[in-house]
Amino acid sequence: MLKVLVFMPVAAAAAVALVPGRHPLLRWRLAMLCALGALAWSLFLLARFDPGGEAFQFAWSRAWNVRLGSYFSLAVDGLSLAMVLLTALLTLVAVLVSRELARGARLYYPLLFLLQSAMFGVFTARDWSLFYVFWEATLIPLFFLIDRLGGDDRQRAALNFFLYTLGGSVFMLVALLFLYDAAPGHSFAMADMAAGGARLAPAMQLLIFGGLFIGFAVKMPVVPLHGWLPLAHVEAPGPVSLLLSGVLLKMGAYGLLRAAETLPAAFLATQDWLAALAFVSLVYGAVLAWRQQDLKAMVAYSSISHMGVVLLGIATLNRTGLHGAVFQMVAHGLAAALLFMIVGLLYQRTHRRDLADYAGLAEGAPRFARCFAAALLLAIGLPASAGFIAELHVLFGALARWGGWVLLLGLAMLLGAAYGLRTIGVLFAAGSNGPRCPDMRRSELLGAALLLAVSIALGVWPRPLLDLVDGSVARLAVLFGG
Amino acid sequence: MNEVLRHAVDWIWLVPLWPLLAALVIGLRMLLGRTHGDAAEPATSRLVSAAALAALLGLLLVDLAVLRYGWPGHRAVWDWFGSDAWQGRLSFLLDALSLPVATTFALIGWLVARFSASYLHREPGFHRFFLVLALFLGGIQWVVLGGNALIVFVGWELCGVASFLLIAHAWQRPTASGNALFAFIANRAGDAGLLFSLGLCALWVGSFEWPQLFASHLPLVDLRVLLLGFVVAGLVKSAQLPFSPWIGRALEGPTPSSAIFYGAVLIHAGVYLMLRLQPLLGQLPDVAAGLVLIGALTAGYAWLCGLVQSDVKSSLIFATLFQVALMFVAIGLGWTTLATVHLCLHAGWRTWQFLLAPSWLTLTRARPAPPPSWLASRQWLYTAALQRFWLDRLGDILIGQPTRAIAGDLRALEAGFIDPAIGQPGRGAAVDEQRPLVRADGLPGRLLARLSGFLQRIENRLLLHGRGGSGERMLREAGHWLRTLEALLEEPRYLMMAVMATFVVIL
Repeated sequence: MLKVLVFMPVAAAAAVALVPGRHPLLRWRLAMLCALGALAWSLFLLARFDPGGEAFQFAWSRAWNVRLGSYFSLAVDGLSLAMVLLTALLTLVAVLVSRELARGARLYYPLLFLLQSAMFGVFTARDWSLFYVFWEATLIPLFFLIDRLGGDDRQRAALNFFLYTLGGSVFMLVALLFLYDAAPGHSFAMADMAAGGARLAPAMQLLIFGGLFIGFAVKMPVVPLHGWLPLAHVEAPGPVSLLLSGVLLKMGAYGLLRAAETLPAAFLATQDWLAALAFVSLVYGAVLAWRQQDLKAMVAYSSISHMGVVLLGIATLNRTGLHGAVFQMVAHGLAAALLFMIVGLLYQRTHRRDLADYAGLAEGAPRFARCFAAALLLAIGLPASAGFIAELHVLFGALARWGGWVLLLGLAMLLGAAYGLRTIGVLFAAGSNGPRCPDMRRSELLGAALLLAVSIALGVWPRPLLDLVDGSVARLAVLFGG
Repeated sequence: MNEVLRHAVDWIWLVPLWPLLAALVIGLRMLLGRTHGDAAEPATSRLVSAAALAALLGLLLVDLAVLRYGWPGHRAVWDWFGSDAWQGRLSFLLDALSLPVATTFALIGWLVARFSASYLHREPGFHRFFLVLALFLGGIQWVVLGGNALIVFVGWELCGVASFLLIAHAWQRPTASGNALFAFIANRAGDAGLLFSLGLCALWVGSFEWPQLFASHLPLVDLRVLLLGFVVAGLVKSAQLPFSPWIGRALEGPTPSSAIFYGAVLIHAGVYLMLRLQPLLGQLPDVAAGLVLIGALTAGYAWLCGLVQSDVKSSLIFATLFQVALMFVAIGLGWTTLATVHLCLHAGWRTWQFLLAPSWLTLTRARPAPPPSWLASRQWLYTAALQRFWLDRLGDILIGQPTRAIAGDLRALEAGFIDPAIGQPGRGAAVDEQRPLVRADGLPGRLLARLSGFLQRIENRLLLHGRGGSGERMLREAGHWLRTLEALLEEPRYLMMAVMATFVVIL
């Protein structure tokens, strides 16, 4: 079942690529169909998934390279499934809002589906070598998406992004090879490596963990390895930055959670350092976001801050904090995707990204302004939004361990509110003649409404998601005595 | 019938609830805009009358049950909230003190509700009056029936708010709202006393329940401090010296409200509280003596002032004050039964008088009696009585003016220092000329601007993000060196050298 999930987008990419260039609407409809199919399949998986059952379900495995001990092995637990659903939903939204895409559509849709396939692969792989292959496979479509379809500074941004993440994954690869070498049995399967890794001496674990962490931290991103993010987010086309912040960043956090199963001693030893990095990310991202007047840069920096919440939640290593981290992955996926989507659409129309150009947007384009305001409120983590539940969990989890230091989290939230509310204030400023741009179309509004509805639904009724991931989180927390 | 009587006590909590429900319904009707015109009036007034009657009937039923089964005593109905040491309970204390007084008050409440229906007909704020009246009727029952100090406090506050709203019934007149504010603030002093005692109860006794408070064997010094808060609350509510002036200003409301509040019911709340605390007062003769002294002084004050009043309501209020002061004297002397009976009789009598006050002139057709000659001949005493012993001015000079001065200073501090220090959104200097919308004001804002500037420099310098930043330059230099190295390695001599070096290492 999972191989269908992973390879369906590849088929979709091929199908969309075959549509001749003079039928843009047909191509969009086909792409919508494929994205809907992927979402439907993930929902089907969700329906068949039994949260109380086995840890990893729908397992499917074939030997890949027997001599090396690598397997083409796929399976999902609650955490993976949550990420798969997020990916499917965000891809659908990305396709939904791309209806008006003018240039490069023939290139865009196939690359988008290849990216989706790779992301599904990352979240379902149960073999570290396969994980690594899929991890690298996300880079290629993204590089071309940014490089071919991005903004003015796109080449530099694409190269920057590529080099940064490739540099990170080199460390990851070396660490994985070390782990392979050190683990008995010489197998890349995650379960085998976890069994081997847990028995390693702490010093060795630390070394391996260092390599893995650099790879994941670049992706997440964690300050000071975040250099690619502002540029890539700013230059990427709207739907791509939606996926970039919505899903790609979560891959780093996801990998970190998987690494925690493998190297528990290293995590325990570095717990406080991880938290320190998380606090730095939180405040650094929030302060810089506050300083930006470029909307995309503001949202990009706020992403750094919000991913700091995820890292903090992971660093707590207790059940509450981990729940918060996973919830924040989903919540930020939804909120940041919505923000980037709206900013991207606005940019598509006006070719401006400066906040000052959108003063009084509410008069000319009320749908844009309202959706934007709602998205900012979601990002702030207002009660009844998913972000609130996530931040609350992380707050409680971190409070138990670091006490008063969580005030920094509060500070970051406060700054988030400061720039969010400032932006809303400008959007709704009365009397200024707002920019003339056509308002959101129905398909775009539908995409925004979908994200908003899911986020609010999770904020009001978080139980289903918490139950879904509880198995994975509890299994992880047990390793650390939480 | 027996079954009903036996279980009547279990339904005692409905007594204060009926009027509150009526208030809720009236409030909803007002919110929904169903209270316009004459047609809407009977529903409102009947609702309050019915609620008051229901409360009265419920109490009568309990009284009947008492005749048959004896005093129910302390009844806990529901745990409201709690902390580890103490519990906020919904409880009732039904004894020879509370039930007669509660029944009297309920009767008065019902009669006044009936009276007001025609008295306020077509007045502006008809529905508002009944809403507040219902609130008050509920609140006073909490005070009288409440089995613990916390419930009493809830009722006490409800009565205070209701009294404020009724004095300011004609809020369009500045004197009315000013007097309401004065009375309310004076009453807050008493509330502070009550809260103080509540806190000490939680701290020292670990419970708010009256029986536990009476049974607690606190050291006399502690007990005196604890009781003092209650006594202050009682003195304020019953307008004893030195808190008397507020009662004179409280007559602004419609006549029925004056009757029920200051003539009959509310002014007795303080007396009732003292009666309730009699077991504690008995242990502290000095506090009781203080009550006698204050009561006697107030009685003299009210008597002298009453002699020189020329309008009906003022005369009545000083007469009331005189009687209430006598009750305090009685309580201080330990004659609680006398005080209780006095309270009930006085409440009934005075209600009648107050309700009659507007028609007094037509009924008597006589001029008010002139002050007695001994008073008239003593010019200074006459003036003092006429000026109500300048208590009002004294309070203003001693409390009002200093408070105003402090408030002015604080306002100046706020405007001159705190506001600029905290900053206001959307004000202040832009952090960057190119970003006019990103502004920072106040100390935290400036600090944040400084920090963000610093971080932005780091971001631009060290990371590849910056255009021509040092990170990029360093990479380019490194690339240049690598290229040179590569070019050198491609030369055969260095290649050979490298190969030989490898061999040396291997060997």
